[in-house]
Amino acid sequence: MFRKEPVLGGAEIAALVTMAAAFAIPMITKNVLVYSVLNQALVGIVAAQSVWIMLRMNLLSFATPAFMAIGGYTVAIAGRYEITDAFLMTALAFLLPALAAVPLGALVLRLRGTYFVLVTFVLSQIMQLLLFESESLTGGSNGIAGVPAVTLLGTEMMSNRQVLLFACGIAFLATVITALLTRYFRQHFAAIEENEILAESLGLVVWRYKAVGFVIAAGIAGLAGYSLVNMLLTAHPSSFSSESAVDFIAYTIIGGRGTILGPIVGTALLVYATNLFGTHGQYAQGLYGILILAVILAARGGIAGTAAAAFRRVRG
Amino acid sequence: MKHSRTPLAAVLTLFTPLALSIPLDLAATAAQAQSCEVKVGAMGPMSGGAAQWGLAMAGAAELAAAEVNAEGGIAIGGKKCKVVIVPYDSKYTADGAAAGSNALASQGIKVIIGPVGSPEATGIKPVAARNEQLAWNAAYAKNALEPKFPLMFHIAPGPGTWSDAMVKHALQSFPAIKSVALVAPNDQGGTDIASVDAVAYRNNGVTATEEYYQRGTTNFAPIITRLLANNPDAVDTASSPPGDAGVIVKQLRLAGFKGPIGRMGGPGTEEILRVCGGIDVLRDFYWFETVAETEKVRDIDNLYRKLVGKEPPGGTALWGNLPAARLTMKAIANAGTAEDASKVAAELRKLAVDDPNMGKGVWSGQKQYGINQELFFAFGVGIIKDGKNLGVTRMEPGT
Amino acid sequence: MQQFLQAAVIGVSLGAQYALLALGFTLIFGILGVVNFAHGGFYMLGGYVAYSCVSLLGLPYPLAVIGAVAATAALGWVFELYFLERLIDDHLATLMLTLGLYLVISTGSLTVFGPLAMEFHFPVTGAFHFGSIYVPKENLVVLVICLTALAALWAVLFRTDLGRGLRALADDRAVAMAQGMRPKLLFPAAFALATGLAGLTGALVTPILALSPGVGDPVLATSFLTVILGGLGSLGGAALAAFIVGMVEAYTSVYFGGSIGALVLFVLVLLLLVFRPTGLLGREVRGA
Repeated sequence: MFRKEPVLGGAEIAALVTMAAAFAIPMITKNVLVYSVLNQALVGIVAAQSVWIMLRMNLLSFATPAFMAIGGYTVAIAGRYEITDAFLMTALAFLLPALAAVPLGALVLRLRGTYFVLVTFVLSQIMQLLLFESESLTGGSNGIAGVPAVTLLGTEMMSNRQVLLFACGIAFLATVITALLTRYFRQHFAAIEENEILAESLGLVVWRYKAVGFVIAAGIAGLAGYSLVNMLLTAHPSSFSSESAVDFIAYTIIGGRGTILGPIVGTALLVYATNLFGTHGQYAQGLYGILILAVILAARGGIAGTAAAAFRRVRG
Repeated sequence: MKHSRTPLAAVLTLFTPLALSIPLDLAATAAQAQSCEVKVGAMGPMSGGAAQWGLAMAGAAELAAAEVNAEGGIAIGGKKCKVVIVPYDSKYTADGAAAGSNALASQGIKVIIGPVGSPEATGIKPVAARNEQLAWNAAYAKNALEPKFPLMFHIAPGPGTWSDAMVKHALQSFPAIKSVALVAPNDQGGTDIASVDAVAYRNNGVTATEEYYQRGTTNFAPIITRLLANNPDAVDTASSPPGDAGVIVKQLRLAGFKGPIGRMGGPGTEEILRVCGGIDVLRDFYWFETVAETEKVRDIDNLYRKLVGKEPPGGTALWGNLPAARLTMKAIANAGTAEDASKVAAELRKLAVDDPNMGKGVWSGQKQYGINQELFFAFGVGIIKDGKNLGVTRMEPGT
Repeated sequence: MQQFLQAAVIGVSLGAQYALLALGFTLIFGILGVVNFAHGGFYMLGGYVAYSCVSLLGLPYPLAVIGAVAATAALGWVFELYFLERLIDDHLATLMLTLGLYLVISTGSLTVFGPLAMEFHFPVTGAFHFGSIYVPKENLVVLVICLTALAALWAVLFRTDLGRGLRALADDRAVAMAQGMRPKLLFPAAFALATGLAGLTGALVTPILALSPGVGDPVLATSFLTVILGGLGSLGGAALAAFIVGMVEAYTSVYFGGSIGALVLFVLVLLLLVFRPTGLLGREVRGA
């Protein structure tokens, strides 16, 4: 039914090259601010990709912080028992949220469009409450501080540079997974995005693809949570608030929801802007609002989409 | 066609992160090349609901810097250098404070006045340690100080230090209190304080129950119904934000609760009075004043107007933060550097706690946290009885 | 027993407030297909406009409330006409537009009014006591106004041409347009009606509680919850769900405490969705 496509398209390759290039930055410079901004951007990119996967099917998910929390707290709790191996933790940070997404998905995915949005919003609120109520496991409102550093093949990744390199690694891995997933199911997701009922009537088993997307998106969000906890050395409820869901959605929409480059561009730009406004932080949210209005009204494809369209016009 | 869109987009995304990092790098080195400046960071929430605390922290740092600059600056390596305060908005979150520590470190700043809240203190501790920075946090968290973070100092003591004295004083004014219900939000800023307050009450023979509400609650009527079911003699709003506490007071009185209301938490009495409808509604109230106000203390506001040239950030937080900022300036001068946090910390620990406006205080914290790096000045216990403000009683440190 | 009855009193009062908010929210969704992320923002604006009328302009409170409704309705009308109308068929785009609006309103309020709570009081205060049960007078007044507004809304929707037009558009837009209904006039009217209701609720409730920049957030969450429960697009469902949510919130908070209460409420709604994915009285959401 669907044409055979190359495993990775142009946009995906560009994305992978970009994320690979990020590894170079900690090698070129020692500047702590650059490290900080880049690290925040790398965490944000992974979270934005989680949003983007669902957006491929025209489903807007606010549940990203909830799955990030599962990933992040898993690592923090394992750290209490001195379990810090990078490969094991990466696998767990991906798998546990993905597993949690299975029953949640069964509940949430039967809801059409708008209900889905609202219910995922409620899910992230529930996660915050669960974190507060389970003090013995998650440290409750205090969180878990002093999470030990990641150990990769025996070396403790403690310095700022090592933490950043690890974040680059997680982001690269997430991009690979996201690229492969969305490329492989490109036409299935597109069909669902266009017209779900029509797709179903044509024989597409819609719920399967939604489920795969939801579960993998949850896993990717878990990786973002791991990266965040590693950056802060702390798992704290305030890092996984439902408000941050708005930020990740903004990054994706403003960057452009048409290609995998969108979340990358959007996150890089907006994280940089937020740091630039450090002391005028109160205006940041208002600025996001104006940007969202402008992008939605004038630049439907976001930054990446508009750039591509301009390029095409110039090309003729 | 699909493939023509990617090269430009690829160029964009490939070089955006690289391109962005260059101006940041240049900016940092350019700043260091300027003539004789000593940079000190100030951190706290400067947006959102807790903005007044962050602005007060920055204000204290600015005033201390202005005082030193009025004398020509701090003597570093034979020259007198101007002190410049670099503020950062940490947004009352752990990641905000961590990002702030890194942002300030990138400018070579190793001394920070702030941050303010419990999540911020939690977030900054490991990162500041990694960046080898000295910081002063104002959080009331149970672990505001830890022996494993020797560069972390504490602006003022949390309830573990003063709640006992406060309870005793409150019981003098309101001896009929045999049971109290504490109300606080269910996050770190609420639980750390209310639970410690509860212990202080129990140690003084008052039974205490703790009730936590979801932060963001606007209507407290159900919580109040629940609280009043046990017929407490008093209700303590602990560290609930003043806006919430005002509503709680209003609704408690509407429900017919006539007992005294307490606030063993932070400042904000003015806002509470504004929201609840006035002193006649509040009627019987006892609260913790972070600063024991005197003429000399109030003069800090005049100093601020004179030296900084702006209206001071409102409230008492500016006064409470000032001694830490001033002592830090002295420590930097004694150490002869602001770039080696350990040296500055060593000098800081040697200084006597004596402030021209706030008076004499002591170093404390050994009992609470195992490390003696907290400033303890006289605090106050305010009493409103029968609708009359009886004023704030000064309580000396060590009581 | 006393707690039980008191919880009921609180629940009814909450229910009426939530009903006004939920009805506006579901109206916008039913007729326009827009999820109004800025609903909490209009609630907050209603409070601030009323406050400004009272403290800065010196108007009496009832006029201030009318002013608040006028202002929020006007803003809603303008926003729908110039922003939402262009992309009215793209549900995701309109959701994002209202989200953008909310961020702007939020930051704007913080910048203009500052982070602290304002001095804003309800003109009537005190409570009636029946034994150990108390009913605050202000809540009674608000309850009466809410019920009146609900009745007026019902009258507009089911007894006037405007209302018929709105309901026709909600049922089937293509047919309604073929019949001559003018969406260019009716859509902004519908949006303005809903935002005006949110503004009314804000102007009434914030002086009873507190007025500060953060008060809009829980409103959004509650509106979501209520509308999910009642069924998107169903007016009867929204009203019914509002009272259920109000009651459940009151009872769970009284008997289980603040955070567990909230958790129970969320979980109950989620469970309901397992068995009835379109809410209590909702119909199937229009196709993708």
